[in-house]
Amino acid sequence: MDAKLVVIIAGIILVVAILASLAILRGSSGRFTYDTQGGTRPRATEGEGNTQGVAVKGRFTGLAFAAAGVFAAITAKLWSMQMVSSDHYEELSRQNQTRTVTTPAPRGRILDRNGVPLVTNRASLTVAAYRDLADDAVLVRHLANVLGMPYIAVKRNIQDYNQSAQSLHTVATDVRRSTVAYIQEHASDFSGVQVVERTQRQYPYGTLAGHVLGYTGTITSEQLEARIEALEEGTADARAGQIQYESGDIVGQSGVEIQYESLLQGIRGEQTVQVDVYGNVTGSTSSVPPEPGSDIKLTLDLKIQQACEDGLAHAMSAGQSQGYAEAKKGACVCMDVTNGEILGMASAPVFDPSVFIGGVSNDAWAALSSEESGYPMINRAIAGQYMSASTIKPLSALAALKYGVYTEGQTTVCTGWWTGMGEANGKYCWDHAGHGTMNLQTGITMSCDPVFYDIGKAFFYDEKNPEGLQEVYRGWGLGSTTGVDLPSEAAGRVPDAEWKSEFFSDWEDADRSWNGGDMCNIAIGQGDILVTPLQMACVYAGIANGGPEYVPHVFLSAVGRDGTGDAASYETRKRLEGTFGKKSDIDLVKRGLYGVIYEESASQAAHFTNLDVTVEGKSGTGQKSGEDDYSWFVAYAPAEDPKYVVAALVEQGGFGSTSAIHAVRDVLGAIYDQPDTAGDTAGDGAR
Amino acid sequence: MSAKSRNASSDALERVNKRIGQARGSFKNVVNIPVLVASVALIAYGALVIWTASLSISAASFSRHLLGVGLGAILALFCWSRDWRGLSGLSTALLVLDLAIIFSPYIPGLSYNAKGMTGWIEIPGIHLTFQPVELAKIVTVFLVGGLGAQYNGHIDSVRDYVKLCGMLAVPFCAVVAAGDLGSGLVVFCSGALIIMMSGPKKEWVLSTIAVLIGLVALLLAADSVVDSIVGHDTLIKQYQMNRLLVFLDPSSDTTGAAYNLQQSMIAVGSGGFFGKGIGAATQAAEGFLPEAHTDFVFALLSEEFGFAGAMVLLALYALLIFSTIRIAYRSDSQFLRLVAVGIVGIWLFQILENIGMCIGLMPITGIPLPFISFGSSSMLMQMANVGIVQSIWRCRAKAS
Repeated sequence: MDAKLVVIIAGIILVVAILASLAILRGSSGRFTYDTQGGTRPRATEGEGNTQGVAVKGRFTGLAFAAAGVFAAITAKLWSMQMVSSDHYEELSRQNQTRTVTTPAPRGRILDRNGVPLVTNRASLTVAAYRDLADDAVLVRHLANVLGMPYIAVKRNIQDYNQSAQSLHTVATDVRRSTVAYIQEHASDFSGVQVVERTQRQYPYGTLAGHVLGYTGTITSEQLEARIEALEEGTADARAGQIQYESGDIVGQSGVEIQYESLLQGIRGEQTVQVDVYGNVTGSTSSVPPEPGSDIKLTLDLKIQQACEDGLAHAMSAGQSQGYAEAKKGACVCMDVTNGEILGMASAPVFDPSVFIGGVSNDAWAALSSEESGYPMINRAIAGQYMSASTIKPLSALAALKYGVYTEGQTTVCTGWWTGMGEANGKYCWDHAGHGTMNLQTGITMSCDPVFYDIGKAFFYDEKNPEGLQEVYRGWGLGSTTGVDLPSEAAGRVPDAEWKSEFFSDWEDADRSWNGGDMCNIAIGQGDILVTPLQMACVYAGIANGGPEYVPHVFLSAVGRDGTGDAASYETRKRLEGTFGKKSDIDLVKRGLYGVIYEESASQAAHFTNLDVTVEGKSGTGQKSGEDDYSWFVAYAPAEDPKYVVAALVEQGGFGSTSAIHAVRDVLGAIYDQPDTAGDTAGDGAR
Repeated sequence: MSAKSRNASSDALERVNKRIGQARGSFKNVVNIPVLVASVALIAYGALVIWTASLSISAASFSRHLLGVGLGAILALFCWSRDWRGLSGLSTALLVLDLAIIFSPYIPGLSYNAKGMTGWIEIPGIHLTFQPVELAKIVTVFLVGGLGAQYNGHIDSVRDYVKLCGMLAVPFCAVVAAGDLGSGLVVFCSGALIIMMSGPKKEWVLSTIAVLIGLVALLLAADSVVDSIVGHDTLIKQYQMNRLLVFLDPSSDTTGAAYNLQQSMIAVGSGGFFGKGIGAATQAAEGFLPEAHTDFVFALLSEEFGFAGAMVLLALYALLIFSTIRIAYRSDSQFLRLVAVGIVGIWLFQILENIGMCIGLMPITGIPLPFISFGSSSMLMQMANVGIVQSIWRCRAKAS
């Protein structure tokens, strides 16, 4: 519409211009006749000769300048192309003549500490296509028939992945050789469809250790951009040995797969050939064979890993059979206290990493990220944040001893109802019947709350160290990440006055000020404190070691790309030295933890007296309003010369002794080949 | 007054000297040495480039190129021997001849349509093919030169100016209508240069340019509308539009219209200073550069001989053109002067357009590079032009 209007207006202007010029021309001399009649005779008069000469000279000067301008413009442009930018054009010219054919390199395998493969590769014939092919209904239908897949599934596979539009989208994996042969014979019918041989991840143990291992997937455009940027930032030397990522590459997306991507990823082989304009190969210039990625050895021990998973499942089923129907989620981690090696790490619910092979469908992805499924992708051992419950009591005791707010000889009389902050602020002990006269050691053993209420109160009113309790918690690594070599670790939370004031910033000042009740709550691990199962495993490893905690890790070593020697191995690093007053404080706590296992209750002791090694540990029961209690159990063994620490948590699994204890006991049973012979009794309610 | 008379007397002295020189039969006086050197060097340079092209491009036949040079030499000698002033009064005949030449490919007995090419004729009996539009260029120069010479250096009436322009528009429109916009532009530019040198008033020229710009803009704007009304591609052909768009934004299309330009620029740029050497021009040899021996021969030359080789070529062209301008200036005959200017226009525009399109300065059109491009028609007529220029030099001072 607009264009037509422009044309009409321009036409009118043109007509007016023509009429105007005709009017002007009417008045001219009319001396022009067409031919000059044999005419060497000039009709125009010579005019004023010299003026004429000057005019002619001026015109020729103008002509010469115009010609010079043409040459100058061409010269300038040639200079910029051939002198200034010639390298750029040379590169383009070289690219014209060469084509690079790449051969994918297999990804490194992931092994347990004894070399048992947890993730391997297998070759798979894959049919792939670009996204725009989905518009060709005839081709898609034909392809669906050949592959024996529903039309809609093929179409969705071509269209639907969380992949960039430019990358090849996998249509079908593990295609039969006969099908591939058919597609290749009828290549003209399937233009745009490609058959590629890809290696694919294989998981011999199914879902085992899925949270630690992680899964792989096609590189996302964001990841690709980040990789390219990182590569460009580096110096030329740094780039030399780097992996050049391309759209369509399979990369780690979680767990060890993404953490050690640079080791696991192979370097694709490249063959550069010279071609002419028709693509005919006229020569071969260079050939680099593919380099497979490095095999990685993890600290995981298949037997212990299996025990962690089975034990956690046992713990959850025990909880369910005792009336805790929601006991479906949890975590269990087993670590070597002497060096931080994680021997087993389980999280429930589990997911199957093999669903990601060849691209996860939208439906499967939606299911994996839904609330009903319980968010199985979360590794609850490192990313689940829970109230520590009574498992924190040993640290409260150490804090009290360090700052002298509650001494070794001090006692508290537990009547089941504690009124240390006045009757109005009275608090129950979990055992409403009361424990009688308690000291620090028996307070830990019996998990007597009033002893720790007294500690909380004492810290609250202590003028010198009002936050000494939190300092000791932090001193053992709570409230900060452990530094484990897995992605998405959570830091937990050690609440204090400053945190409360900020966190509840929209509350009235009076309501968000730190009070004695808050202090008493965190002293028994309730309220706003949050820890991860791995953090608690580290705390108990530190107690077992008499102070030192090591950085927890899953990486043991990497086998070199050429298959010989270790390309890299993990060096044990000390994470921190736990905060405590004097050596005897730790001994007191350990005696208390010994008591938990063997003295607190007969039914609890029954699970451990059938084990040859001495175990020390602590149960915990986190109270969350509106939900069943969260079941904790953390223990280490052997008590005399600690080697293993096991921490378990079952969400809504009831008391510590109801469910989590079974996970810990089963893992220790697997380590020492002494399975638990005591049944899943309700116990006697020990927490 | 005294300055004027001094000028006049020195002018007269010069003429006398020339006549004496001519009487002596000096070679210098009948043949302009710079033009001879430049044209012979250019032809030799072209032969070298076509020989290297013939190594990898089967269509580039070196012997056929030499045949064209040989025929051209005969034609040039003939042109040099003639006195062309006799044509100045034959405007009507020239116009008829010009149109006949332009439309000759449409005459049933003459047209030659092999391999989908248009604009060729085959001379009956001897199987010689020829592009008549090459001949039409020089005929148009004579036509417009003859008309322009009537005014002896200053056009006083705007009506005469408009008629002159109208006479140029006839062959231009004919060439464009015959389907060769590129050659049409050559005809137009050389003719326009002649008219400008015929002495019109500046304002007329400027307003003519303004009207032309307006017309082109109108054509571009109206094209899509007219196409949509008529229902098919009428005014500007789609490929012409694409070439123009690609020229404005070379990255707009990498497979179609922009491919030639990109490959040509890669060839030129990758030549560097000294070039890749004879036979080592990969862009041309492996077929990436299209039409490497005809329209894009400059890209081949630049790839092989680099910036240095291109500068040598430009220097030879500059010598040829500036010498011809000098010859035109020194010619006593207004008609021959304008013919020489027209030939300068042909050369200058073809050089600008052909080299310019190879390096992205100008939109792509199919115009040969004078003396270098493979193609006998072009070679024949360019050598004829040299012969005419030499004849103008020979006859510079003869009284009519």
